[in-house]
Amino acid sequence: MMITPFQIAYKNLLRKKVRSVLTLIGIMLSTWVLVSLFGFNRGYETALNRDIENMGYQLMVMAKGCPYEAATMMLQGGKGLRYMDQSMVNQITKEPEVDKVTPILMQAFFDPNKGESGGIAGFYGVDAHSYPAMKPFFRFKKGGWFKDNTADEVVMGYEAAELEQREVGDETIVPEKNVKLKVVGILERTGSQDDGTIFVPLKTLQKISQVDQITTIGIKVKKDADITSLENKLYQLKDVQVVSFSQVKQTIMKLIATARVMVFSIAVVALLIAMVGVINTVLMSVLERRQEIGILKTMGAMPGDVFRLVWTETLILCGLGGVAGIFLAVIFSRVTDLLARSILPYAPKGGLVAIDLKLSLLTLAIIVVVGLLSGLYPAWKAGRIRPLESIRGE
Amino acid sequence: MATNCLSLQARDLTRVYRRGSEEIQALDGVSLSITKGEFVSFMGSSGSGKTTLINLLGCLDNPSSGELELAGKTVFGHGQKLGEKELTRVRREVFGYIFQNFYLIPTLTVLENVALPLAFFRKPGAEEEVERLLKMLGMEHRMNHLPGQISGGEMQRVAIARALVNRPEILLADEPTGNLDTKRAGEIGEVLTDLNRSSGLTIVMVTHNPELARLAGRRIEMRDGRAFEN
Amino acid sequence: MRFVLTKILLPVLLLALFTTSALAAVGCDLNNPDRDVPRLFPESTSFKTVYVSIQKLGGPALLKKIENRLGAQSIALYAPVDVPYTLYEIYKDKKKVGYIHGVNQKGQFGGIQVFIAQDLTGKVKTFYLQKITGASASKFREAKFARKFEGVTLKDFDHYDPVRGKGTGRVAEVPNPSPELETDYYGILRGLKKNLVLMDEFVFAAERAKP
Ligand SMILES: Nc1ncnc2c1ncn2[C@@H]1O[C@H](COP(=O)(O)OP(=O)(O)OP(=O)(O)O)[C@@H](O)[C@H]1O
Ligand SMILES: [Mg+2]
Repeated sequence: MMITPFQIAYKNLLRKKVRSVLTLIGIMLSTWVLVSLFGFNRGYETALNRDIENMGYQLMVMAKGCPYEAATMMLQGGKGLRYMDQSMVNQITKEPEVDKVTPILMQAFFDPNKGESGGIAGFYGVDAHSYPAMKPFFRFKKGGWFKDNTADEVVMGYEAAELEQREVGDETIVPEKNVKLKVVGILERTGSQDDGTIFVPLKTLQKISQVDQITTIGIKVKKDADITSLENKLYQLKDVQVVSFSQVKQTIMKLIATARVMVFSIAVVALLIAMVGVINTVLMSVLERRQEIGILKTMGAMPGDVFRLVWTETLILCGLGGVAGIFLAVIFSRVTDLLARSILPYAPKGGLVAIDLKLSLLTLAIIVVVGLLSGLYPAWKAGRIRPLESIRGE
Repeated sequence: MATNCLSLQARDLTRVYRRGSEEIQALDGVSLSITKGEFVSFMGSSGSGKTTLINLLGCLDNPSSGELELAGKTVFGHGQKLGEKELTRVRREVFGYIFQNFYLIPTLTVLENVALPLAFFRKPGAEEEVERLLKMLGMEHRMNHLPGQISGGEMQRVAIARALVNRPEILLADEPTGNLDTKRAGEIGEVLTDLNRSSGLTIVMVTHNPELARLAGRRIEMRDGRAFEN
Repeated sequence: MRFVLTKILLPVLLLALFTTSALAAVGCDLNNPDRDVPRLFPESTSFKTVYVSIQKLGGPALLKKIENRLGAQSIALYAPVDVPYTLYEIYKDKKKVGYIHGVNQKGQFGGIQVFIAQDLTGKVKTFYLQKITGASASKFREAKFARKFEGVTLKDFDHYDPVRGKGTGRVAEVPNPSPELETDYYGILRGLKKNLVLMDEFVFAAERAKP
């Protein structure tokens, strides 16, 4: 039978249902936009970061004049391979910007039975322990990596496997040397040069080719490290050339920064719209109820009581609208995803919109705080209404 | 309470309204005292200052000059003036108000309207008053109706119940029957007389209705901002 | 903002486009058509490269039909139904005179690429192993071996099954130049039959259907 200030506030919102509902919808839409934006920003950032991650190494170091891609090497007929010492790996690992390093040996063998006048078969000797971590995005169609650096095994890129018509378990042969190796893994297509590559354990390839050196070092840079400064340091090393894919990383980082600015400016606009809506609704409802509020004061309501009453109304509006908006955002996150994809010229793979409980609660908190701020003025104005003014002002 | 049982004492109250450069002397030196348990009615032509006076007596407005004492304590005058908070405290402790326009909250039920003051201030045992008053005023069967669903007379009963829920000492009524027909007005009059007689409630009432005024034990006539006892 | 967008997003877009274009499937092509075509089809003066796929010609039904004709589980490894086959149409002046077409076939140590040049009736003019891997691969690539297949038609496989390695006729009579490597020998014969069957479905079936 008792009535609480909360009930009074809530019932008051029922008085002008259409207006309350419209305001709710406004807040809901703003929240929707906000959650989706935040979710998008987060999903987009993780997806782009994953893209960076998937680039594998961003720097390669190799002996001066050495071709740096298996394909280039093959085009050059396997000539021009230069070697460097494996100790270089340890030297580079010491640099603070370096996350991971992997030694690589490229070798080319002449196969007389390829094409009319023979061709080149390229092999990529990689370290069984450090190389797979550089290519976390590799997916195996069948099989997996060799576990041992001395195993007589190979892993084939998709197109290499197609050309050689190999399946896991089949044998392959190193031309010139006539060494038989077993296929233990076949990769899915990556769309990169890796598709045409045949990977051999580093030690095995060194043994086959009687080389104890390497041709290339792949370097993965720490996420927030300064690639350029590392590049400059690497240039100081003797007889070495540096190939950098850092532009792509920097471009992606710039993309993230731009997206962030965009997202937050839209978010501010969305919040302002919600804020104006709330101020308008609550202020109107206060002004319309001057007499009622005056009567509340004759009943003994203190300015603070009235203030809280009006603030509660704001809170209810923002809370309900916010929760509804979050639901909307979650339900339509796929649509938002598609929309973002259609707008963005470059969208990374994977979910673009990542909404979780923490993010939802954060947004709700923002909406409620902004709502309460918007309610501040109307509530203050209501608290100051004097009983007499209202009764007189008929 | 003061020993002389004086509930309310006004001395030389004046009230001047300013509208631009124009000054309106709404009250022109009113002195009167109202004792606990009295039923006082104010009559007078429109603009004679009745509302102005009753608002001053009810501590809803500040006089331009003069003094007002409540149970021996100064509310206005002697160079002092209570702040808005203290005034609110005085109002909710001492007074109950009813108005010509009832001012019920349309979204709350009869019951909720009566209980409304308790959301802000509650004298001990006030909860029981809600039901007792509704019953006493014959409104308990309308408890769950909204104000829009009951008649004007019933609305004023609800307003009276609401005014009395915190057990005030003085009920101030400004034209309580102004919006009611003769029959309903009579009923409200009965209710007020009853409250005055049975529970010794002090009632100060402004009315244009001579029959209603006649119910009061003491009648005061207002003319040009002055009060004349009959 | 717009300016920044185009400056930053455009390179990334190009990057993305580049990556997707690299995804196009590889079939079985001549390594150097400009040099290979005149060698395999001496009277040719020009050629046109066309791409056909089972998907476009008849879909899964056609695939099933071809597999039945071959008596094999699948046509080749890593050859989905939409993989494009490269077909070289050979011209002498303005007149079409034949085709060159190659297939992938699994061998012991690597892929075998069996190319044939055919005249308009489907008869093999030139037989060419573009690629075969292994120590004795060169024996299969000798001209002596290739000449054994000149004049072979699809009809010759009516009496010879390269899957089981049994049968009679001129195909059965071709000796294995490297008797210790049966896989590659039968692989080559299977590749040849596959090539003939595919060409029959891709080209000659359609021409027979014409009045
Ligand atoms: N807020 C105000 N501002 C200016 N003048 C006012 C104000 N309130 C009342 N007055 C004036 O003061 C005088 C007394 O008004 P008051 O409302 O007290 O009269 P009343 O006796 O209650 O009249 P009624 O019977 O019409 O209610 C009138 O001349 C009125 O116009
Ligand atoms: Mg009046």
